[in-house]
Amino acid sequence: MVTFVSSTAQPRPRGVGRLNPAARSTLISFLAVVVFLALWQVAPILGWVNGRFTSQPTLVVQAAIEVFTSDNFLFHARISLSEFALGFGLALIISVPFGALLGTSQIARELISPPLMALYIAPTLILLPIMVIWLGIGMASKVAVVFLGAIFPIVVNTTAGMREADQRLIRAARSFGATRMDVFRHVLIPGALPSVLAGIRLAVGRGVLGVVVGELYVSQAGIGHQLVVYGSAMRVDRLLVYALVVSVFGYALTQVVRLLESRVRDWRSE
Amino acid sequence: MGQIQISNLTIEYKLLKGEGTFKAVDNVSLTVEAGELVTVVGSSGCGKSTLLLAIAGLVETSRGSINVAGKPITGPGPDRAVVFQESSLLPWKTVLGNVRFALEMRRWSAGDLNERAMRAIQMVGLESFADYHPHQLSGGMRQRVNIARALAVDPAVLLMDEPFGALDAQTREVMGEELLRIWERDRKTALFVTHDIDEAVLLADKVVVMGRNPGHIKDVMKIDLPRPRRGDVADSAQFIEYRRRLRSHLASDMAAMHLVREAV
Amino acid sequence: MAQLFLRRRALILGTLSMFAIGLLWQLSVSLGVIDVFFVSTPNLVAQEFLVQFHNGVTLRDLASTLWSFVLALGLATVVGIGLGVFAGWYQDFESALEPFIWFKYSAPTIAFYPLFIAWLGYGTPTIVAIAFLFALTPIYANTLSGIKNVDRDLVRAATSFGATRWDVFTRVALPASVPIVVAGLQLGVGRALTGVVVAELFGAQSGLGFRIAYHAQLLQTTAMMVSIVIVIVLGVILTQMLAFVESKTDAWRVESQTR
Repeated sequence: MVTFVSSTAQPRPRGVGRLNPAARSTLISFLAVVVFLALWQVAPILGWVNGRFTSQPTLVVQAAIEVFTSDNFLFHARISLSEFALGFGLALIISVPFGALLGTSQIARELISPPLMALYIAPTLILLPIMVIWLGIGMASKVAVVFLGAIFPIVVNTTAGMREADQRLIRAARSFGATRMDVFRHVLIPGALPSVLAGIRLAVGRGVLGVVVGELYVSQAGIGHQLVVYGSAMRVDRLLVYALVVSVFGYALTQVVRLLESRVRDWRSE
Repeated sequence: MGQIQISNLTIEYKLLKGEGTFKAVDNVSLTVEAGELVTVVGSSGCGKSTLLLAIAGLVETSRGSINVAGKPITGPGPDRAVVFQESSLLPWKTVLGNVRFALEMRRWSAGDLNERAMRAIQMVGLESFADYHPHQLSGGMRQRVNIARALAVDPAVLLMDEPFGALDAQTREVMGEELLRIWERDRKTALFVTHDIDEAVLLADKVVVMGRNPGHIKDVMKIDLPRPRRGDVADSAQFIEYRRRLRSHLASDMAAMHLVREAV
Repeated sequence: MAQLFLRRRALILGTLSMFAIGLLWQLSVSLGVIDVFFVSTPNLVAQEFLVQFHNGVTLRDLASTLWSFVLALGLATVVGIGLGVFAGWYQDFESALEPFIWFKYSAPTIAFYPLFIAWLGYGTPTIVAIAFLFALTPIYANTLSGIKNVDRDLVRAATSFGATRWDVFTRVALPASVPIVVAGLQLGVGRALTGVVVAELFGAQSGLGFRIAYHAQLLQTTAMMVSIVIVIVLGVILTQMLAFVESKTDAWRVESQTR
């Protein structure tokens, strides 16, 4: 229940309800997953669904072992990871300064914002086919798609972070003789950090999507490539393994950024 | 050395909507002698903060002049330091880092910055909190860091814009006494803006009363209470008389704002 | 209203920017900086657009994409808000859903694309399914947050005047969460469009995404650009419409959000 002050609204705790909220919540989540896995395992056996299309948890685990030990997994993983890292790295190097420029210069912002926002909203993945025409079916086109997916959230959020600078801090710094460059270096940039990290977090999602879709579309190797191979062969178990690998990667990376964000957010609790 | 001379100062703002200007400060003249602590009181909108910010060099003036130690001011300078109401400390720096920051901005070259910063922090009694971040400190402590920061750059003039305005009444009392203790060491020229009458009388050598519409000086009251002062001076008859006079000054402004209905 | 003025100026500068880009585009090809094969020219694209338009191709693709989009968004809105409200009000329900939402959030839906084809076949159902899942997350997440984090002060005030739980739900929690739900819908719109177009890239017989992939296989850059530009314009129009809706609901925004 949404907790609020009213004794009539509190449910009387019974059994499991007597646990503290956090433990209860974890328990229920855990149970939900267990139930799901159980149903998944059992459904094909009971004929509720066609096992060919859904596989089963046990089969997936088996497939995972096979994949990790004998399917050239590391080779494909390395390719996808490189594509992501390169594209994302390039995006970072360009986006943050660019966002800083837009954040501080009104003129630049007014000129560049409209097309920028238009591209931010548009699904950059539609440029994938054209990237393939420009850069071929190899890694380059995937790097490009990751790059395109990642730059916009970072630029937009960096700009916003710069613009939302606390005017009082700027005034205080000026009162002690800070120049424009001082204000930029010592007040604007650290102040924009939370927003920049938020933008990076969003960019991670888009970047991962870019690699996967890029490789699904056309590729000679990589995780997406394997997805296509097993998808066409209806090897759902192996398909799921690769899909899970991508999920775990995306999740882990997002959590890392969230961790950084929360450390930075402590500052803001003033 | 640190004398403030304001002559016929007018500060006008262009209105955002439509034409016309808003006179925040109208033809104000005031002298603050070196080593004086002057408080400025008045109801909201009387221009007292604007006046202080103009002396700080953060607000442009329209007419008239402001001279500090005989020289006209053109912007923020090393001879003046501001203590703002909102603590405006950089949240990502520690207490020490924040005080250092002011020294760095002022391009302080003499001696070790850390040492100087620590001395200022000691002056306000926060040496054991030097490595804390602002969000870990209470409002009163943050304001003390604010004061330490201003003291660290050794200004000739201390400008304080309602520094205790955001604190609760009891903390405000404590801070007032703290400030007296700190100020009495060096007796820097100081201008202290407040809306709290008790505070104004307690701290000041003279009280400037400002009125609004447009901002102007209604009266300048000399406070003849002996120094050093402590909180119990507020019980003296003289203090009470000063307070009474100030209240009557401000009461007319309050009535004009329809906050207090006077019997007709 | 200053808002309107700013928007007009933004519109003017926006069109100016677009015009400048178009000019740059044309010049870079005319001056030989880039080969026309790679980027085509505004001129050629405009002509191709007219050709496609007259063939009825453009309208058919647009209709197909929009239809999938509306279906996906509609479903995502209903399911997302429905689940979000339920989960926001009943903590247990939220806890039960949470692991699946987390998974859905991290897993790229499109990776399961072959599965969808197997279950739903090529064409609209698969596209709608993928776009639906794409758009679901922000709508659900925002609705959940809006209901869960309703300002306690408001709730306390209402209960002090005798409001029942149902009253609090319908008269405080729901209205108070409108701005954040609208924000979630904004995100959902973007993601629904992305989902539809991306899904169309792979397995469709019509739609803008399909058109892009189709011409890509034939290396017909000009024809591709037509559809790409249409998608971008579509995105802009949708966002503008949403901004309009958002401005209407802004009055509801509660100042002191518990966050």
